[in-house]
Amino acid sequence: MDDKQTILVVDDNRDNVEILRAFLESRGYVVAEATDGRAALAKMEQVRPDLVLLDVMMPGMDGWQVCRTIKNHPDLGDTRVVMVTAKGGYEDKFEGMRSGADDYVVKPVDLKELAIKVQRNLAARGTGK
Amino acid sequence: MRILAQVEDGTLLGALDDAARELGAEVLHVEANGRKEERLRAVLGTHPELLVMDASEPELLRLLRAETRTRGVGLVVVCTDEREAAIAAEVGADEWLMASVAAPEVLARLRSALKRVRGAERPQVTARVAEHLRYEELLYDRFTGFPTLPLMLERGREILERTGRLTVLYIEFVRYSKLEEIYGWRKLDEVLQTTANAMREFYNQQRSDEESLLMVSHTGDDDFIFFSDLPENPAQAERRINELADELESHIRGRLDADHGEDIAGLFGIYIGATTLFRNPKIRTERMIYRGIREAAQAARSVENRERTRKVADLKTALREGGVYIEYHPIVVTETKEVYGYEALARGVDRGLRSPEVMFGVAEEANLIWELSRLCRRRAIEGLAENLEPHQLLFLNIDPHDFRDPTFRYLDLDELGIEHPERIVLEITERTAITDYPAFQEYLRDFRARGFRFAVDDAGSGYAGLGSIANLSPDFIKLDISLISDIDSNFMKQTLVETMVSFANDHGIQVIAEGVEREEEYQTVKGLGVHLTQGFLFHTPLYMGKAHS
Repeated sequence: MDDKQTILVVDDNRDNVEILRAFLESRGYVVAEATDGRAALAKMEQVRPDLVLLDVMMPGMDGWQVCRTIKNHPDLGDTRVVMVTAKGGYEDKFEGMRSGADDYVVKPVDLKELAIKVQRNLAARGTGK
Repeated sequence: MRILAQVEDGTLLGALDDAARELGAEVLHVEANGRKEERLRAVLGTHPELLVMDASEPELLRLLRAETRTRGVGLVVVCTDEREAAIAAEVGADEWLMASVAAPEVLARLRSALKRVRGAERPQVTARVAEHLRYEELLYDRFTGFPTLPLMLERGREILERTGRLTVLYIEFVRYSKLEEIYGWRKLDEVLQTTANAMREFYNQQRSDEESLLMVSHTGDDDFIFFSDLPENPAQAERRINELADELESHIRGRLDADHGEDIAGLFGIYIGATTLFRNPKIRTERMIYRGIREAAQAARSVENRERTRKVADLKTALREGGVYIEYHPIVVTETKEVYGYEALARGVDRGLRSPEVMFGVAEEANLIWELSRLCRRRAIEGLAENLEPHQLLFLNIDPHDFRDPTFRYLDLDELGIEHPERIVLEITERTAITDYPAFQEYLRDFRARGFRFAVDDAGSGYAGLGSIANLSPDFIKLDISLISDIDSNFMKQTLVETMVSFANDHGIQVIAEGVEREEEYQTVKGLGVHLTQGFLFHTPLYMGKAHS
């Protein structure tokens, strides 16, 4: 099986997706993308990513709902989910935790911080639940 | 765009490379040897848009067609003769070509296959695939893997027609809704899975040639139905049903106990009802079966009601005779693991009331909550001198209903003659404290005036913001188990706890982490500066110490 790990980037803003794609690919990850919740879920079945970078603010199905769906799923439940949120407040973090998210980054995304968080979550995937 | 190719012919490979260049695609070559699974994985792992394969292994081709179809990957088969072309057509390849063909032809075929996969033809394929998957999902419950009702009806009809009778067993699961409140929905899912697995095990064990045992799980409900073909003789049948019910119940209980512990297993009631149907040409089979299911469900429900009545009677006895005992659960200083205090957990002496959630649940339904609360508090304090060192604190749970209890204000605690109220910490859930805020504030003032301390329990279940909690000026905040569970691998939780510890330090509040079960969780919690820790990890004789009965 591939040594490379797959990350699914979900954001309705294509520019954001491109930035993240370029950065993550340069770090050796395989990147898949989706621009809304429904597409993201379909993509997940297809691609089986190791980690999902999930924008919170999206039209239609919001990020929290997508997160919950993923975490509740019998097969996909152990995929790591990192929320990308514009607000880093206490309530937001709580919502994230309640939805089952594993981590979060705040917009505008600090790429260095993102790399660290992606790495630690992928590492945790082997060990934790 | 990626094309995966497993092709031997050198000329063809050249043509393929040319075609790929025209299309702006890269070609990945797959080894022809190696095991089937590995080759499958190779396909899936690279996320190609097209797969080009030779027809030497029809079986593998079929497998790959199924996999590629659901993933929206096109399949092009390279054939050496008519026979192989027929195979390709039969397997349902998007395109096929003869090995000896020239480069332009290869390009055309690839283009055609891509068009199929991407463009106008796709919706039909997708629709077909989606429909197929949907039917699969409809026939089998996704979560438990059991057949759903339509399939059951078919089987039921078959049994009824073959043998002339059909016994329906309805297994009703009653769970205390508090399970979700206390342990979270994830736990509930896990328990349902365990139950489904236990059912399947039981079913497999019981299956024999004579009896046909089929199960269905109600979607949206947690009950199960068995169909069975039981002995003719009614007395025998009844005995067999009772046997089956007992075996099933103890099997499921055993699994729940083993996988989730006695406490959680105790939160479930399993009630089984049965009815036998006989073939009747005048009544439509489906109607009969539905009716049978309804009757069996009613029978299960009346078993439940009988149990409930009995439980209330047991509770009344317990209240009369003081049949409640206390477990003292240690709360330790995180750094040093020294015991700081104990939380008192009340259990009924009677086996059916062993679980506090069940005991309090029954009490609530029977309007006996005040009496029970008082009894539990009395017991907890009676055991204080014997079980706690002089410097250790006793944490007592206060039920939300207690605020409506007229005697609570002046407190049986007074009657019990507590000499050192500063040793007692009253635990009130975040939810109660915030919901009953005005009433609560009054009591709080009273209690504090007399020297009692208090803790906000289940903090961080998200009911209230930190600000609201701060307004209560608690002495302790107990972090809800949902925040602590698996915190070693969840950075979201780590951030939240870090925030709460920082907040608590600013306000002179001590933080207690509840539900620490593993060493890794403990280490994480320690690293975050949480002052006190409680949980299964410390349920050993060493920590239970004096309090171990």
